[in-house]
Amino acid sequence: MNAELHCEISNFLYHEAYLLDHRQYKEWLDLLSEDLVYQMPIRVTSDNKDASNLVYEMKHFEETKKSLTTRVNRLYTTSAWVDNPATRQRHFVSNISVAPGSRPEEYRVRSYFLFKRSRASDIETEQLFGEREDVLRKENGEWKIASRTIYPDQAVLSVMNLGMFL
Amino acid sequence: MPQWVVTDPDIYQLEVEKVFSCTWQFLAHESELKEAGSYVTRWIVNDPVLLVRTNSGELKAFLNSCTHRGVHLCTADFGKKKTFTCPYHGWSFNLEGELIGIVAGDKVYGEEMDKSEWGLRPIPRLESYRGMIFANLDRNAMPLEEYLGGMKWYFDILLGRSDGGMEVRGIPQRWVATANWKAVQENFAADPYHVQTTHRSTVEMGISPSDPLYASYGHAIVLEHGHGINVATSKTGRSIYPFQATPELMWPMFERNLSPEQYDLLSRTTVFVGGVFPNLSFVSPVHGTEGHLHNYLNFRVWRPLGPDKVEVWCWFMIDKAAPEDYKEAAYRGYIGSFGSSGTLEMDDTENWSRIVQASKGIMSRDKELNYNNVANYLMGSGKFEPDENFPGPGTAYPTTYVDFISRGLHEYWFELISKDLLDAGEEAK
Repeated sequence: MNAELHCEISNFLYHEAYLLDHRQYKEWLDLLSEDLVYQMPIRVTSDNKDASNLVYEMKHFEETKKSLTTRVNRLYTTSAWVDNPATRQRHFVSNISVAPGSRPEEYRVRSYFLFKRSRASDIETEQLFGEREDVLRKENGEWKIASRTIYPDQAVLSVMNLGMFL
Repeated sequence: MPQWVVTDPDIYQLEVEKVFSCTWQFLAHESELKEAGSYVTRWIVNDPVLLVRTNSGELKAFLNSCTHRGVHLCTADFGKKKTFTCPYHGWSFNLEGELIGIVAGDKVYGEEMDKSEWGLRPIPRLESYRGMIFANLDRNAMPLEEYLGGMKWYFDILLGRSDGGMEVRGIPQRWVATANWKAVQENFAADPYHVQTTHRSTVEMGISPSDPLYASYGHAIVLEHGHGINVATSKTGRSIYPFQATPELMWPMFERNLSPEQYDLLSRTTVFVGGVFPNLSFVSPVHGTEGHLHNYLNFRVWRPLGPDKVEVWCWFMIDKAAPEDYKEAAYRGYIGSFGSSGTLEMDDTENWSRIVQASKGIMSRDKELNYNNVANYLMGSGKFEPDENFPGPGTAYPTTYVDFISRGLHEYWFELISKDLLDAGEEAK
């Protein structure tokens, strides 16, 4: 994979994090393809080291572009208390790797994430961390997220809610 | 209810010892343990529980702790096994809880040790109703069915309306909220009044009606032992979503499985929301984020992690007999509304944390600084009489904007935490 492409995709993911951290959710929606599949399976503790420790039958997120648009629109109402007063959040993205996708113009992109959130004057910060597996696609010269699977590392999430996007 | 009680550490200790040690605690639904050897691990506050289905198909619950040195025996969330082996010294136990293997047993312990004395410790009581498996740490507790009392009639609707009952999809979602268990139990069992403000965004989005009383239409039903349920209909007494927007082909099945009174109530109801004391709550709403409305059943346990923290366990259930595409759509409706990423849930969590934040100070404790230092549970008092014509058991009030269920919850809570204290006081006289 050439360095230029890796740099381009990394910058795209950093830009996405910037939009989310600055609560530019509608602009964030523009980065998503119309046929988006966005999901967050549940991490579990399983009884043998060969078994999958992810459950896909029930998830934390099971979204389409339409359902994410509904979520975003809600955040722009006057009464979405989860974000009113607004929390301060920071998405850290690292360990980005790029591989060819199943179709031309598509790439499989893995990244690690660390999410931090600060609420009101609370000195305790909430956090989430894990890995993301994306499919990025070039549409009309612009990168779009066609698919995202978020793998949290915690079986019991240490956040009060999933009011953020990961 | 004085505000300081919400987060007081001494009160919390009393609750652990006197409420959670002798009330029926929900562990799992039968559909989570399908075959012999299936197990799930759960908690009753700080007691780890191992719930297994034995080879004969029976359900058994044990303290999930090795009898040798007390190690947490099985840390997996769920799975299937024939034996549970402790990683510390290798003692192993079968599905019946019997100690079947001791490493170098005969050489180190000899014949004197009777293995049958060192099996896993059974949870004293395990009973189920409509597939809902409950445990009790009190050997002398009243039977589960007696404890549920009038709630059984409503469980028959929620869990028994369909052939084959309800089934859990996958596993419960789990996360930690800053909240007191009593406040969150009330939020579901006793508080449709919060809907119009906390969940106003759904009105702004055009998902809920703009009538500020929309969540009040229906009945609030006070049941024994601190239980309660709210049955939300509409201004006309009849939901605009017959049978909670379930497919019409299911309705004859509902009619077959329910009494005429239960069937009629289901036909008129949009939302059932309630709670089984102390910390099991449920909601059966009509919801969806993709423009289609669907019904599902969500049960949740508020496992206390302290006076101001709960671990939320959230199960999604759906009629086993529902069409597959309906099940899938209802699941997506759930993900968008309740559970870890639910849009209604997330506004709730903010309010819960703000209760505990503001309840730890001197002014909420000090009787001298008492500016009505008692939280307000007066809604509906002296204003509403029970509706004698309501078909179900319990004391049914003709609007859900009343605090009677909360008051019933507090009364039973007080009865439990003050039990031996009052007895001791009597003896001192």
